This record gives sequence, C-alpha cells and structure tokens, in this order.
Amino acid sequence: MAVLVADNLHKTFRAQGKTVRAVEGVSLRVERGEVLAFLGPNGAGKTTTIKMVAGLIHPDRGRVQVAGRDPHRDPWALRQLGAVLEGNRNVYWRLTPLENLEYFGVLKGLAAAEARRRGERLLERFDLSGKRSALTQQLSRGMQQKLAIAVSLIHEPALLLLDEPTLGLDVEAAETVKALIRELAVEGQAIVLTTHHLEVAQQLSHRVAIIREGRIVAEDLTDRLLARFSGDQYEIEVAGELDAARRTRLAALGAEALDGRIVFVGDAEGLWHVLEALKPLPILRVEKDRADLTKVFLKLIREDVRA
Amino acid sequence: MLRVVAVEFKRSLLMLRRYPMEMVGQLIVITLIFYGLFLGARYIAGPAAQFGERLDALVVGYVLWTLALFAIGDLSWGLMNEAREGTLEQVFLSPFGPARVYMARNVAGLLLMLGLNLSILGLIMLLTGVRLDFSWAALAPLATVLLGAYGLGFLLGALALYFKRIQAFLNLFQFVLMFLIMTPFEQLHGPVRTAGFLLPMTPGAGQLRALLARGEAFDPDLFALALVSGIVYLAIGLWVFGRAVRIVKQRGLIGGY
Repeated sequence: MAVLVADNLHKTFRAQGKTVRAVEGVSLRVERGEVLAFLGPNGAGKTTTIKMVAGLIHPDRGRVQVAGRDPHRDPWALRQLGAVLEGNRNVYWRLTPLENLEYFGVLKGLAAAEARRRGERLLERFDLSGKRSALTQQLSRGMQQKLAIAVSLIHEPALLLLDEPTLGLDVEAAETVKALIRELAVEGQAIVLTTHHLEVAQQLSHRVAIIREGRIVAEDLTDRLLARFSGDQYEIEVAGELDAARRTRLAALGAEALDGRIVFVGDAEGLWHVLEALKPLPILRVEKDRADLTKVFLKLIREDVRA
Repeated sequence: MLRVVAVEFKRSLLMLRRYPMEMVGQLIVITLIFYGLFLGARYIAGPAAQFGERLDALVVGYVLWTLALFAIGDLSWGLMNEAREGTLEQVFLSPFGPARVYMARNVAGLLLMLGLNLSILGLIMLLTGVRLDFSWAALAPLATVLLGAYGLGFLLGALALYFKRIQAFLNLFQFVLMFLIMTPFEQLHGPVRTAGFLLPMTPGAGQLRALLARGEAFDPDLFALALVSGIVYLAIGLWVFGRAVRIVKQRGLIGGY
C-alpha cells in the first residue's frame, strides 16, 4: 500500500478580488522507502500541495491519504506524518534540542519519557548529542535544520515532508542533510522532497514530479525521466590527430570531428562503426550524452510556457 | 491530554526561565504590589479595589484581575508570536488539534501564574506575619470568571489566528475587561441587570463583590448563573476558535504573518 496517496487535488485562493488557481488536479503517490522530488518554479503550487498533504490547507476538491488515513477528516492521521516546512523555524529557539524533541514528541502523542528516550537516540544519530543542552538559537543553521528533521521524526512517521531542507546551508551541512535523507529512505522512510537545488533532487530522488502553474507536467522515475530527455548523442575523445581520410570516413558514418572531439548521433551499432573507423588511435573517452535534472526541468518548464 | 498539559507547563516554565530579566521583572512587580497592599497602599490594587476595602478582598481582587488579563490575552499573544517565529504550523500538525493544544497551554499558563502569585503571597505573609482571612467560598465565583475570561481569550485567539496582528485591539480590551469586572450589575434592577448578567464574567464578578465587599452570604442561584455563564462563554470561544481554524485552513493563512 502506498504511504501517500494524493488524488486530484484542487485549490483556488481568492484575495482582493483576484482568483488564483494554485493547484489543479495534482495527484501524487509515494511508496515506502521512496524519495519523491516534487519540483517546480516559485509560485507553481508546491507548498500549497505539501500543505494540503499535511492537513494545513483544505483542498477544494480531491483527497489525501497518509498511511490509509485522511488528515483532513481524521486528526490521528497526523501521527503518520512529519514535516519540515520552508521559511519556518519549525522548532523553539529558546528551548534546547532535547527539550524540543520531548515537547513535540508529546504533541505527537508520545509519553514524555518515551519522547525523551527517542530524542536522545535521534540526537546521537544526528550527531547533536554534544549540543543537547545548548539553546537552539545558539546552534549553526545546519544543526538547526538537522534538529528540525530530528523533531519531525520523533514519532516515527510513515511519511516525511521536507520543504527545501538544504536551503541556506553551507556545503558541508547540505552534504550531511543529504546523507541523512538517503539513510532514512534506505530504512524505508517515504519522503516527499521539494527543493530548488535540482542536483540535490537528482542525487536523492527515486521519482520526480514537476509542477508548473498548478499542474503536474511530468512525473516518472528519475532515471527514466533523465533517459527520456537524454539524446542519442555520443562524444568520443581520442589521442593524436585525425587525418583527412579518417575525417571523410567519419563524415560518411554521420560523425563529426570538432576540436579533437568526435560527436556522433545515432544508435549503438553505428557507434561501433565509428569506433572501427578510429582504429588504432587510442580512445581516451566515450560518453553518451545524459540529461541532468536541471536540463529536464528547464525544458519542461519552458515547453509548458510556450504551450 | 494530561500529558499535553504537563509538557505545556514544562515548556512555559522553561521559556520563562530563558527570559531571565522578564521573569525577574515580573517577580519584582508582583512582590511590590502585594507588599504595597499589605502596607495599606490600596490604590495599587487598581480595578481590584472595588471588591472591598479589606486586605483579603484586595488580594483576591488583584489576583483575579491579573489572571483574567492573562487568560484573555495570553493565547492571542502566543499565536501572534508563533506565527511570526514560524512554529505555529508545527503546533497545528499535532493530532490533538490546535484547540486542545491551546487549551492545555492555557491551563498550564494559569497554573504557572497562580503558582507564582501564591508563592510570593505566601512568602510575604510569612515575612510580615500578616494572616489573611480568605473566604474559600470566593474561589467558586473566581473560577467562573476565569472560565468566561478563557472564552474571551479563545474569541480573541480566533481573531489573532486570522488577522495575525491584533496588538492594538488587545490593549483596548483591557478597558472592556475593566467594564465587565467593575460594573455592579448585581445591584441594578430590571432589564439592565438581566442584560448585564448576559455579558461574560459579570455574574461571577458580582458574586465576588457580594461576598467580599458587602459580606453577603453565598448565593447558590447567583453562583449557578455565574457557572452557566462561564461554561457558555468558554464553549462559544472554543466554537469560534474551531471555526477560525477551519477558515484559515481553507484560505491557507496559518503560516502567514
């Protein structure tokens, strides 16, 4: 059974005489142990969707099920959900990490002693034990973000919502947070991740959903989506000069020599003919063009704008 | 639910400790006021003075005034601060729901304030050797006034949740509270008395005046009215707060400031 099923969500906001269709027919599914990167430009409807999943915004239409329960009808569905929301502190800065963990643990339905016990374990795991008694406001931004993630996990939820978890972090702290997300997914945690750092999404996600102006414009396994947008182009680098005869032969095969590189667009069989034509020059590199998520994202967003 | 009250009490206590100057200031103010009252400076009891001239009446009146002000404003101030600081949405993610969490927070805050006031009062009684002759019967109407005050607290909390900035309105509300607590509706007659007693906190405040200032006997009918008034206003406050929660969820206004 999917941990998250969001089905045909719609949300329209009305303010100062204007109507904004924030989300139109968004459906998402996340399985156990899966990281779904939910991507989109600013104002595309990511945060509204995340908040509808978390029960913080009522959808006009559609339904949400977290571990089989609807957070809009059954408040105890929230027991299966943890969230770190962008633009929020998420934790009390005047409390220590352990006090925050205990407080939010009880608010999620745990006994205080159990919340403290789990809190100690999470501090150990997130490498925050040394700061257990420091005030949260005195921690670095990276530590505060790790604490917010720890707090969202205190009640061992089935679904974790992470809205921009690496925003504002330095390289080292971002790497630590990424490693944690990877570990959590391996342990079976279902995660919805929104981020503008597309390389982070590419590294962490199993699946990607891209939203533009309230509608999902692409949703697929990350690898499949990248493969779909990767061309049939190969780039070959050889040592030594290409003579005129070899250049002519390569041209006949559809390959082009450019600045010491040979670019070939075609299938695998054609590639072998090109390699045959280069024999016996030493081959330094053969690489298939592979799209990255940034390229896919921009292509989809721009295509959609043109459409 | 008791767990939530306990953890809210601990959170309130820790937060208070983390603002040491504010806590010290609060302790000094409470101590000075009680000490002043013991020395005969009645004017510092402020609106509490109308509960009678005797020291016990002044003390009960002052404690009531402090707690009622706290009960009415604390939820709204808390909501405004949490919306600004970015912890409000995490509280809304509790399966207990915001109304129950904030109710627990109110109870915890009340216990803390009461504890603080009574400790200082006890200490001053010990130091001065003055003994107060409390009328324990006064505690019953005092509790009904606080029920009504929490009802108003939830009504204002609903406004704070929707509008996020209602500081000026909260300051103005002190005068409304003064009107509700100080007007002697119990001594009026006819429709004015009836209309007065329909307002929040007025029957309880009237009974306190009758017991403490005029030395009248405990009137069970007036107490029943005060209790019903307190419960009804608390229920109205909670209902309106619940509606406000639904509206902000529909309009996506929980986190904004």
